Amino acid sequence: MIEVRHVSKEFVSPKKYPGLKGAIKGLFSTEKVVKKAVEDISFTIQDGEIVGYIGSNGAGKSTTIKMMTGIMRPTSGECIVNGINPSAQRKKNAQEIGVVFGQRTQLWWDLPLSESFTILKEIYNVSDKDYTERMKFLNQVLQLDDFFDRPVRTLSLGQRMRADLGAALLHNPRVLYLDEPTIGLDLVVKDNIRAAIKEINEKYQTTVILTTHDIGDIEELCSRIIIIDEGKKIYDGSLEELKDTYGTRRTVSMEIKSPKEIVELDLPGKLGVTEQTCKVAFDEERKVLSVSFDKHKVQVPQVLGAVMELTEVSDIQIQETQLAEIVKEIYNHGLNQADS
Amino acid sequence: MRRKLRIYLPFALNEMKRQMSYKGAFYLFILISTFSSFVSYFLWMAIYGSTDRVMLGGLTKEEMVVYIFMVYVTGSIVSISISDWVSDDVVKGTVAMNLIKPLDYRLSLISRALGCSVYNFFVPSVFIWIGLEIYKVNVLGMPVTGVWNVVLYIISCIMSFLIFVLFDFCVGMIAFFTNYIFGLLMVKEALLKFLTGALIPLSFFPEGVRRVFDFLPFSSMVYTPVMLYLGKYSMAELEFVLARQAIWVVLLYLLGSLIWKRVTTRLVVLGG
Repeated sequence: MIEVRHVSKEFVSPKKYPGLKGAIKGLFSTEKVVKKAVEDISFTIQDGEIVGYIGSNGAGKSTTIKMMTGIMRPTSGECIVNGINPSAQRKKNAQEIGVVFGQRTQLWWDLPLSESFTILKEIYNVSDKDYTERMKFLNQVLQLDDFFDRPVRTLSLGQRMRADLGAALLHNPRVLYLDEPTIGLDLVVKDNIRAAIKEINEKYQTTVILTTHDIGDIEELCSRIIIIDEGKKIYDGSLEELKDTYGTRRTVSMEIKSPKEIVELDLPGKLGVTEQTCKVAFDEERKVLSVSFDKHKVQVPQVLGAVMELTEVSDIQIQETQLAEIVKEIYNHGLNQADS
Repeated sequence: MRRKLRIYLPFALNEMKRQMSYKGAFYLFILISTFSSFVSYFLWMAIYGSTDRVMLGGLTKEEMVVYIFMVYVTGSIVSISISDWVSDDVVKGTVAMNLIKPLDYRLSLISRALGCSVYNFFVPSVFIWIGLEIYKVNVLGMPVTGVWNVVLYIISCIMSFLIFVLFDFCVGMIAFFTNYIFGLLMVKEALLKFLTGALIPLSFFPEGVRRVFDFLPFSSMVYTPVMLYLGKYSMAELEFVLARQAIWVVLLYLLGSLIWKRVTTRLVVLGG
């Protein structure tokens, strides 16, 4: 179980002034600039959960991960990971966790991959029996065999990421931190990585904390998401709930036979709602009429009925709001405006 | 202990392998560093040639030749600049990859330095050393260095290595406070050349200055083992200089631990 209690992190840096004059002034000035990267974040994660930790660039995701892994100490508040305070007992905590920073590698750059694994086996004190068993499993889910004897520097990004994930899992950690594990990967490799994470979570009940910018990662893996923005937690709950509460718009696209009548149709007026709740757009070229509306106020049959009264419809598509759209909204405006 | 060895030995081996993969740079480095040894050789020969005195700073002309080249040999196996690695780790943020593992950062750095040192010993220091001995006996007409002196030299070198890396670790730690220490490392390099006796034997300095040097760890880094090799110490002095080295190992070890503790409380890992 991971408990994060009122954690904040501030970075203090000397104030910089613009221009050459400013640079000289900076030499003698003792003014400091305090930047709050993370502000009073609390949450609890149960064993075996997969939690997506998302936020725009610079929101404080990586900083939080660094504090949870014990490589940075919070300015105030504390994290407790399985009863251990990571920043006070870094080495003890490190024995229990696996970390993948997508943009970096923990492997030995100039050595064959196999040697990195042998070193890691010693570092984490993995027994021969466990090592053989786990390597078999990792090979099966990550296909490390194909490049096991090649120096790490010659691996492609996808191979390296698989190797890094394998390296983080060799000692069967109770908690796995993944900081953008699918960054820069192609679709197939992404799928493989996701499948591997899922399988490991199911087999070993590993708790997974995942930061990502890839909505696919979240949709496929996470049962729960935490969103932070400018260092503050703005959402914590299940994926369905987020979609339910904020993904209220539905879009119906209809391909119609005779567009003339439709142009004159006042759909919001006919349904008795404002133009804000029901937006109509018509694509002349493809003869597609798209109606986007609030699903709590307008029903699909109402829309269809109104249109079909006037013209023949040859094709219909109904779309829920994409998670990506919701998340984009939230990044842009914060949570409060997202539902209006 | 055995487990520690199993964990950290790969760091040393890895460093050796890495050194071998950057051959070009390394040979260039040998050329440049032996070049400076030859410059100081010719300089000292000119100085000895222009005076009637047999001894300068307690060293004869022949001993000076041995001094100059043994400084090179000693320096190459003792002065492994781990602060460069620390600075790199801090600037690029790769220190994080060390800290997420149940590893002692300092011990892993020292293990790497050991690999580097062993590699430097074989390529090319040991050959320069043998060459020097041959030159010494055949050309300078001095006796072969005794086994006792070689043993003392090696023991002293091991401590010198520890003093150097432990000291350099402390210097490297400054990077965690300032994020960038390239300039400082240049200053360190220049100062050490002077203070360790690599440039001029410390016996050339006036009495007062030497007193000060006695209280600093630098003379224990290069000067002490080379003078041991030359057999310049009496029995009493010998015990003193070796004990002084041992004390510096302990002190710098403790100092490093203290600084590391402070560093980890305010560590900032750069990069996303």
